[in-house]
Amino acid sequence: MSVFIQFVFLGLTLGAVYSVFATSLVGVYAATGIVNFAQGSVALWAAYTVAALRTDGTLVLPFGGSLRFGDVTSPMPMVLAVVVGVLSAGLLALLAHLLVFRPLRSAPPLANVAASVGLMLFLQALVVLRFDTDALFAQPVLPFKTFTLGNVVVNASDLIMGGTAVLVALLLWAYFRLTTTGVATRAASEDELAARLVGFSPDRLAAVVWVVTAMASGLIVVLGAYTIGLDPTSYTYYVVPALAVALVGRLTSFGVACAAGLLMGAFQAVLLWANTLEWWPSWAQAGLGDAIPFVVVVIALFVLGGKIPARGALTQVAMPEVRIPRLRPLPVAGVVGLAALAIALTSDSWRFGIVTSLILSLIALSLVLLTGYLGQISLASMAFAGTAGFTLSKATTEWHVPFPISIVLSAGLATLLGVGVGIPALRIRGAQLAVVTLAAAFAIQSFVFNNPSFTPYSGNLIGTPNLFGLDLSVRRGTDLITLRFSMLVLVVVTTTTLVVMRWMAGSTGRSFLAVRSNERAAASVGINVAATKLLGFALSAFLSGVAGCLIGYSRGQLSAASFSVVAGLSLLAIAYCGGITSVGGALVAGFIGPLGVFYVFLNQTLDLGQYYQVISAGGLLLMAVTNPVGAAGANAEMLRRLRRRRSEHSSTSARTPTVAPAKGLTSKVETHV
Amino acid sequence: MNAAATAAPALSVKGITVGYQGVPAVRDLSFEVHPGEILALLGPNGAGKTTTLLASVGALPVMSGQISALGAPIDRRIERTSRRGLALVPDSRGVFRQLRVQENLALSKRRGGPPVESVFDHFPKLKTLLRQTCGNLSGGEQQMLALGKVMLQEPKVLLIDELSMGLSPIAVQDILPRLRAIATEQAIAVVLVEQHIDLALAIADTSLVLHHGRVALAGPAERLRRDRQLVEAAYFGTTESNHQPQMERR
Amino acid sequence: MSDQQPLLETRDLSVRYGGVTANQDVSLTVEPGEIVGLIGPNGAGKTTFVDAVTGFARSTGEVRVGGKRVDGLPPHRRRRSGVARTWQAGELFDELTVAQNLAVAVQRPGLRGLIRDVLTGSVPPAATIGSALETVGLVDVADRRPPELSLGQQKMVGVARALVGGTSLLLLDEPAAGLDTHESQHFGVELRRIAAAGPGVLLIDHDMSLVLDVCHRLYVLDFGKVIATGTPEEIRNAPQVVAAYLGSPLVDTAAAVDGGRS
Repeated sequence: MSVFIQFVFLGLTLGAVYSVFATSLVGVYAATGIVNFAQGSVALWAAYTVAALRTDGTLVLPFGGSLRFGDVTSPMPMVLAVVVGVLSAGLLALLAHLLVFRPLRSAPPLANVAASVGLMLFLQALVVLRFDTDALFAQPVLPFKTFTLGNVVVNASDLIMGGTAVLVALLLWAYFRLTTTGVATRAASEDELAARLVGFSPDRLAAVVWVVTAMASGLIVVLGAYTIGLDPTSYTYYVVPALAVALVGRLTSFGVACAAGLLMGAFQAVLLWANTLEWWPSWAQAGLGDAIPFVVVVIALFVLGGKIPARGALTQVAMPEVRIPRLRPLPVAGVVGLAALAIALTSDSWRFGIVTSLILSLIALSLVLLTGYLGQISLASMAFAGTAGFTLSKATTEWHVPFPISIVLSAGLATLLGVGVGIPALRIRGAQLAVVTLAAAFAIQSFVFNNPSFTPYSGNLIGTPNLFGLDLSVRRGTDLITLRFSMLVLVVVTTTTLVVMRWMAGSTGRSFLAVRSNERAAASVGINVAATKLLGFALSAFLSGVAGCLIGYSRGQLSAASFSVVAGLSLLAIAYCGGITSVGGALVAGFIGPLGVFYVFLNQTLDLGQYYQVISAGGLLLMAVTNPVGAAGANAEMLRRLRRRRSEHSSTSARTPTVAPAKGLTSKVETHV
Repeated sequence: MNAAATAAPALSVKGITVGYQGVPAVRDLSFEVHPGEILALLGPNGAGKTTTLLASVGALPVMSGQISALGAPIDRRIERTSRRGLALVPDSRGVFRQLRVQENLALSKRRGGPPVESVFDHFPKLKTLLRQTCGNLSGGEQQMLALGKVMLQEPKVLLIDELSMGLSPIAVQDILPRLRAIATEQAIAVVLVEQHIDLALAIADTSLVLHHGRVALAGPAERLRRDRQLVEAAYFGTTESNHQPQMERR
Repeated sequence: MSDQQPLLETRDLSVRYGGVTANQDVSLTVEPGEIVGLIGPNGAGKTTFVDAVTGFARSTGEVRVGGKRVDGLPPHRRRRSGVARTWQAGELFDELTVAQNLAVAVQRPGLRGLIRDVLTGSVPPAATIGSALETVGLVDVADRRPPELSLGQQKMVGVARALVGGTSLLLLDEPAAGLDTHESQHFGVELRRIAAAGPGVLLIDHDMSLVLDVCHRLYVLDFGKVIATGTPEEIRNAPQVVAAYLGSPLVDTAAAVDGGRS
């Protein structure tokens, strides 16, 4: 029992990080209605800033050079370094508010998700670029003292961390409850117009919250980094468990978010202890801690029930524009021919890049259908692909399922998973759905892909595809990627894309758009909204699954890294900016996506491979802010304006008195355009 | 009607066309309201009354025409306009349902303005409700709070959308005369959108009936009060409502 | 017609939101081919009633369509049983053209739809959609999107969308708000034609000239209860109706309204 309690206390430090992130997320949500995926990245910057200042007194600036405030023998004093680090987080958040989120105020929820995911990836990539992350270590900030409570040895630092988390929650609560600006912030989130009518600017109120919460998140990471360890990825993704516990408090309660965060940390620590117990099953030894957030989210949403309050916006939010695709043989043949030519003319890494881009565009297409057409934000597409990929490994090597059937079977399993992940979409929408799908993706990645009981570390081989005796395997001799395999991918991707385009142009696409546009109205014309959403998740997961199988065949062997959640996030964000509602956007996303043609170009031609993430995430942010409804939206807007101008010309010149006003209902348009 | 009418208008609307997504809901509307004067803005649902009020505070951009209040043109910075002394009670009442009564009042309190307690002179009942969450108040109590809030803002121009929404006629009869008194005492220019026509006309100085986004009838409230037929015709559009005598279209 | 089941019959239908009673014991019938008006001041509970009949608000009491109980069914099932509605705010699918807005109501999604899309492309039935658009006079704008249309036209698209896909009962929530006088009159003519073809219509509107003109019978709601019912002439002259609508200048009249309500 005492060991148990020991581990509970050890979990306080990590729990405090979850807790402060969660209360910060609640604060930002209350002030802006934004679910800030970048909360952890901002804090990560602060932690590395302090680490660098404490190592050799270097203050690293996000761009350009760096300033020196000491050297290795006399680095910046502790308290000052912590203050500077915490301020840097606040400053970054202020910039994010002014440059990214304020311009996106009346953009669709998806734009905010894309932007905050983009910011998260951008800051993380920036940290890796700007700091010497291999050499920097966190210095201890908190005292090393221990003392005994009963027969349990407790670290003072763990207690201080827990106490800080509680204090942050209390202060945030007090700000929102007891100060006029805090109360006004809550008022503005309920009714923006009414708040402005009383004389408060929601923008300024939001800026305060952005800065304060970022500083709190930065502080807790700076304090805890020595105990937890400093690396450039984990803090970024602590936002997932933090979001989970924030949802337990329905994104409104600081107290619940704080307590649930601390509990989650303690629980994960206890799981570590459980792994050492004899009777603990081997399948539960990996990834269970990361799967818990998903379980928590599902419980919070379904068992606890209750709605997460939506923000009362002043202006109606726009949706990404849609142009329903028309299948014209000539352009289709052109694009396919071009791709075939490119594959034939290249070899090795370039051809591999092209094939990867083709496969990624299929995953992006699954997002076009689900997110662009049906309006359901899913961050789990890579998890669907991975599920199919790992199933494929089992299907080909253990069950010996022959080639085309193996893809259908594996993608079929991904489809089932897709429906499962889609069930929460019947209750929630927008950014909260994104949170759930992200938690699901993490759970699947950690608990399945990274769990040796399911996917052995020794590797997951995939049998070579054969069709009627024809060897379609990816490698032959020194040939990194064969022409035959590349053409197979082209055929599969083309066929699938054509089928999807028929869906998009047909009754399925129309009903999806109807549901995206207005769920009530869709129900009122007889559409079963719940079934339609599940259909969308199923189709999307199937497409991702097919792509996952192609990834499997192209690699010959799979690891969890083949389907990282990050790759899925980037793909969604890129697809959003490329045009989440069009096949063209999916192609663009495939082109720019991880390990695709653009990456090969950066890596091979420009030798800038290490800048890939910062360039793609930065470009993404820029696109998200300048074109809040996506590139396709911007194009469509331009087209419409052009057309309107033209029709104005023709209507004024071609109008004749014979247009009788009898149909009075139609006569109004011309007069007011 | 009263002496104040000779001074410069507190709110002046000149030939505005306003609408949504490029489709006008109000066309070529003009009116003026002077300090201490109450204008009753009447008309059936969908006539464009709320649109007019939203445009007057800058919450909706005008497609053409000008609006100025208290000597300066209206722009989209609603919060600055509000602090200059233009107040709107929207049809949703503008009370924050998740906040307590005292929090609602505190937000409207102006530095150097009247203390929160001054509200209780007009609405003593609010004093007993201070710690209640507004969502739990009755419609009438919320309406008192809405009025109490704007009084704290010390408006010089006050726009009220559907004061009587969901209230019993008796409650309305209670509140409207108080509004008249406040407007006169503090020289506030008031635009009152109201569905209880007679109650509105009873306290208004001038009036304007909108129908399908255009002025159907305009003139001194007294005249409309006397000639009920005119109003009913403009409202019910019984027969040729297009050919109704249009009075004094400004 | 009286020996048959009415097209729509509600019995003691009540809707409560939190502590507020939005509808209280509303009993109402609509016969086939009949246009029934539902009027009352703002906030009287008219839209709530439509929500309750179409499944968008939880209600107690009975809702029967053609004699069959439909209360308890989700909205899309009620639509498939022939009950169609329009919305006060239009609620069109802005990304779809006018014709596609209607097509959605005819071809619904599902596994069969997926196969049909691939094989045939699921071209919307031109005749069905064309005739519905003709009824509301919108054939010319079939390929435009709703945001490009005037408010009045948008309302009419909503009506056309409710007409296609097998409709026996049409519930119209303020279809004429935002129309100008001319459009409103034109709409009245079309509405009579629609009803003459068979479906029953429940019409909510504030345009009294339209309501008094086209309706066969009227119900008046105030504070969630039916305070009067009768022919347009009877309603036009009922003092409690005028009082509920325009307010009352005298204290005694207000008392009379209270009396009329109880």
